[in-house]
Amino acid sequence: MRPGKGRMREELRFTLNGTQVTCGGAAGLTLLDLLREELGLNGPKYGCGLAQCGACTVLVDGAPARSCILRAERVTGRSVTTLEGLADPDTGALSPTQQAFLEMEGAQCGYCLNGMVMSATALLRANADPSEAEIRSALRHNLCRCGAHLEIIASVRRAAELMREAGHA
Amino acid sequence: MTNALTIYRATESGRDVFLTLSPEGHATGYNGHVDLGTGIGIALTQIVAEELDLPLEAVTIHLGDTAHTPNQGPTIASETIQITAAPLRRAAAQARAWLVAQAARQCDAPEAEITTLDGACLWQDRRLPYDALLQNHAEALPLDEAAPVKDPASYRVVGRKAGRLDLPAKLRAEFDYIQDVRLPGMIHGHVIRPPYAGRDSGDFIGRSLIGYDATSVEGMPGYLGIHHEGDFLAVLAETAPQARAIAETLKVDWRLPPPLPDMESIADTLKAQPSTPRPLLASGDIDAGLAETAHRLDRRYVWPWHMHASIGPSCAVADWNGGTPLVWSGTQNPHMLRGDLAVLVDLPEEQIEIRRHQAAGCYGRNCADDVAGDALLLSRACGRPVRVQLTRAQESLWEPKGAAQLMEIRGGLDAAKDFHAYDFQSWYPSNRGPNLALLLTGRISPDPRPDTMGDRTAVPPYRIPHRRIVAHDMAPIVRAAWLRGVSALPNTFAHESYIDELAAEAGEDPVAFRLRHMDDPRQAELVRRTAEEAGWEEHDGPRLQREGRMAYGQGFAFATYVHGPFPGVAAAAAAWVVDVAVDTETGEVTLSRVFVGQDQGLVINPDGVRQQIHGNVIQTAGRVLTEEVSFDEISVTDQSFADYPLTTFPQLPEIRTLLVERPEDPPLGVGESAAVPAAAAIANAIFDATGVRMREAPFTPEKMRAALGQTETPATALPPPPRKPRLPLRTRLAAGAIGLMGLAGLGAASLPLHRAIAPVTPQIATTAEQLARGETLFALGNCSSCHTATGGLKNAGGKPVETPFGTVFSTNLTPDAETGLGRWSYAAFARAMRHGVSRDGRNLYPAFPYTSFAKMAEADLQALYAYIQSLEPIRAEVPAAQMQVPRPALAAWNALFHKVDTLSPDPAQDATWNRGRYLVETLGHCSACHTPRGTFGVEDQTRALSGAMIRDWFAPALAGPEAGARGWDVPTLTRYLKTGTAPGLSAASGPMAEVIEGTSQLPEGDLTAMATYLASLAEGSAAPVPEPVLPATPDRMHRIYESACASCHEPAFADLLTAAQIPLGRSPALRAPSPETAMTVIREGLSGPLGTELRDMPGFAADLPETDIAALARYLRARYAPDLPAWP
Repeated sequence: MRPGKGRMREELRFTLNGTQVTCGGAAGLTLLDLLREELGLNGPKYGCGLAQCGACTVLVDGAPARSCILRAERVTGRSVTTLEGLADPDTGALSPTQQAFLEMEGAQCGYCLNGMVMSATALLRANADPSEAEIRSALRHNLCRCGAHLEIIASVRRAAELMREAGHA
Repeated sequence: MTNALTIYRATESGRDVFLTLSPEGHATGYNGHVDLGTGIGIALTQIVAEELDLPLEAVTIHLGDTAHTPNQGPTIASETIQITAAPLRRAAAQARAWLVAQAARQCDAPEAEITTLDGACLWQDRRLPYDALLQNHAEALPLDEAAPVKDPASYRVVGRKAGRLDLPAKLRAEFDYIQDVRLPGMIHGHVIRPPYAGRDSGDFIGRSLIGYDATSVEGMPGYLGIHHEGDFLAVLAETAPQARAIAETLKVDWRLPPPLPDMESIADTLKAQPSTPRPLLASGDIDAGLAETAHRLDRRYVWPWHMHASIGPSCAVADWNGGTPLVWSGTQNPHMLRGDLAVLVDLPEEQIEIRRHQAAGCYGRNCADDVAGDALLLSRACGRPVRVQLTRAQESLWEPKGAAQLMEIRGGLDAAKDFHAYDFQSWYPSNRGPNLALLLTGRISPDPRPDTMGDRTAVPPYRIPHRRIVAHDMAPIVRAAWLRGVSALPNTFAHESYIDELAAEAGEDPVAFRLRHMDDPRQAELVRRTAEEAGWEEHDGPRLQREGRMAYGQGFAFATYVHGPFPGVAAAAAAWVVDVAVDTETGEVTLSRVFVGQDQGLVINPDGVRQQIHGNVIQTAGRVLTEEVSFDEISVTDQSFADYPLTTFPQLPEIRTLLVERPEDPPLGVGESAAVPAAAAIANAIFDATGVRMREAPFTPEKMRAALGQTETPATALPPPPRKPRLPLRTRLAAGAIGLMGLAGLGAASLPLHRAIAPVTPQIATTAEQLARGETLFALGNCSSCHTATGGLKNAGGKPVETPFGTVFSTNLTPDAETGLGRWSYAAFARAMRHGVSRDGRNLYPAFPYTSFAKMAEADLQALYAYIQSLEPIRAEVPAAQMQVPRPALAAWNALFHKVDTLSPDPAQDATWNRGRYLVETLGHCSACHTPRGTFGVEDQTRALSGAMIRDWFAPALAGPEAGARGWDVPTLTRYLKTGTAPGLSAASGPMAEVIEGTSQLPEGDLTAMATYLASLAEGSAAPVPEPVLPATPDRMHRIYESACASCHEPAFADLLTAAQIPLGRSPALRAPSPETAMTVIREGLSGPLGTELRDMPGFAADLPETDIAALARYLRARYAPDLPAWP
């Protein structure tokens, strides 16, 4: 899982937040390292490197993925969405999930926020009206040390509401 | 830009500026504290906006940077609002008074008639905006410490909702946490810490590095250098992943550190260490009082070591900047850090500037300051800006821990059942966590340093005639510093458990008993109101409410958090009413509801206060129920959330809050208060539910079961053998030849050796068709996998293959004349493939599966030969085998066991089946792993393909009822061989994943053929996946599984891209006869070849000790293969 001694991978092409990217780099790099260290993104965060905390979560073709254990080569030809890519690219408007986390203050320090928002986005795509139990279950592998859990749950519920309102509008 | 108005306090070295107003009327407040992730900035903004009558958006708060903010000490003890905001508030009030005076002059009106609103002064119908009043001024006023402030009754901003200012940027990923700071020309350092993880006193500190071998890493990509001073050791590289890879590869020798004291019994350990008693308070006559007690209760309460466990490991960037360094840091105390760094690099502190960025929430002193020291040392050494990011393991091992604590109480009730005597002693092995770089480089001595922070909230808030309170100051045993609640949390655990014990002894309701002993009406009101509004259920002894195995109870606890040096300063007071459910069989304690009443005086930002209460409850619940740091003989062992699990969403209690309104009283700190009563409240509720008194935190299921008198089932895990360095999986497994040792005695003399076949320069007439066929066969035989060294050139050999009798290295298959097959004739090649004899006549070790290849058709061998000769020649010497079995013994082995014959088709079967059998049994060499071996490592054909352990890998059955039970058929086998996965059924792992890399290149017809043949070997029908069985007695292994494994193996999302592809109930590793395979996978992880559908799994070798890996494998077996016998 670590970059090998001197082995360079072939050029890697994928779609990042709607834009085609091509990059080189060491073989075996994790997607998290590629996004942060080579492409300069801030959304996905390094927390544990072992898929335990969820701070690095991104979406790959819409499916959630823990980028700290995903080899970058595996997203070849795929579409990766990070926190940077959730807002409307034309208007800059926050996505309903982002907007809801803002309104309900679904973070204290916010280091886990990326994982919470990306996981909530994935949840709401699969289940537009999750119960509190379903929200707790969906976020059960996302850690928050500040204890903002109640505000995060409220944010996810509010996001579902905002999405319904947008759907009706 | 020149400020129109500046308000400052004169200091010895200059001015501390608290507030400025720009000519445009924008206010900037300066506070030497920092935002630890609580969003404190908005509350400070509200304070300034309120006093100045400015809209919130016209106020900016500057926190923490040494170049701009006053030194107001570390951001600790919930002091930001209560103490450090006070001068800011005065400065804002003074600025408003100055503006009013300007307006009065311009209007020629008395100041008393001027009002202010929304950034303007008002008099009669005139409105004078602040910017107009500020024009052409450049005033600097000393802070008037007595400037009159507003009457809270007129507040318009303070006490109202005001949204967080930092969240929009954080939600857009536009916020620069310290981990996101990137400078032009910045390079990356990665530290290598000594083996005494988490320790900071003793003469071995800073003196344990023996040396390192720079040549072990010098060729690695991005390598820029190594730097060491004492025990400070780090590497530098162009990128962070490169630096990490180099650091993990560098060969370093350290001296073995001395052992820690025995950490099994915290109470005994703390008592055995040197400590100095410090009497804090004595009233009445404690000896007489104790003698007078009619009900004497002597009790001991114990608190474990805890971690801050910040979600983001610490990071810093430093730029030496020609001797006037800039340091970007997530520190809690920029000014204190600056002082430490000045000592570290021998500069006056004014020459160093700390730029403070937010980090992940820290709740106390984590590694934020250490890593700033690391970065500065490295930047000084290389002259470039250097970023240092710690790993999760480094942060966990080295962060100064929240200290363990021992509280001993002698005391009791008098005959009237009044609280009569209280003799309280507390042992707290902590100091302020000296900067690690100072210690590792030897800049400061590593002598044990006691401190005096064990005295927080050491006095219980009750009327007791005879009291003695003593703090035993002692140096840390492992690095320790403040963590939320500091010593107040353990001290209150003792005070508030003890008073509950007294109430039970008195046969009185615990809340009534407390109130009867409280003199302070404000505290009593909080206790009373909290009990009322929480629906406190009065009881004069444990109620032992039961429903089946579940026991239910309610607990109360109260504390005014007193911080700062004794006697200290009171922050907010908090009371807990908690409802718990105790599973009397598993021992699990669930908090169903926590009601917190809090008196914090004036509330600045109600949402912020509630969020602090929620955070305190959730975080502290985890500390009380689960968290504790573990140790081995030498150091801290917990490296990640695997063995230091945090509270998760499903465990959350319902939380309700009561904020007592006291706008007339000054605001009190709320950052920690709600945490302080937690442990006692929970212990008291457990007592009400079960009659069992928990006096040692955390209240884990194990401790709860023991307290409930349950006998534990014996531990299943046996201590495994010590660790040794390991070769990659596949290379260990390829060694099929087991048991060669017995043949060694046959000797070389009795058997003829083979003749050499003369070297030739092959002239090969081949066709594209033949080459294509050869390429397919080369893939099917998975030749590349064994003949390519890790990180080496393809097919050039040199991969070590570990066998029980030594290590053999795979050969160079490329047609290089000197080192490869370039001078091999077809005859030599065919002899090697069929007879296992090299061109020079030496026997090849049967790690090379010639026993299978022997049966290949001549045309296929020719195609394979032609293809190999068409490869690009690579010159690559291969190391000599290091085997204990002489090659001549192999000739004996061949003579006895190896038959060379071709495979004749079975007329009863169709062509597809026969083709499949040919591929499986010859070049596919499936039997090499899947057929058990008998004496001398010979494949046992009576049990062909019935599944085998090969070294520490399990190759499951491909034939017979076991294969049938797994549910294979032609379509699933075809898909599996093509992609590596059969959904819901199987995903190739370990060496099989490499096999799939080859089979995935086969034509459809050959895949179908192999699948057809293999499916015909399976007998019987598919068995369902066994239902997982949750452990009856959850223990540490259960917690490790839930926090380290479940995110991928019981994923929260069906489509999680990084989740395991098949349920663990289908895992051959868990259905193997022995745990070695499971342990290997846990240790080393899995890496699915690119181009297949397979996924990766991280290895845990660095994260979990071998004993845990062994125990975890057995836990998985019991949970996911409950139909099979437990592993020994």
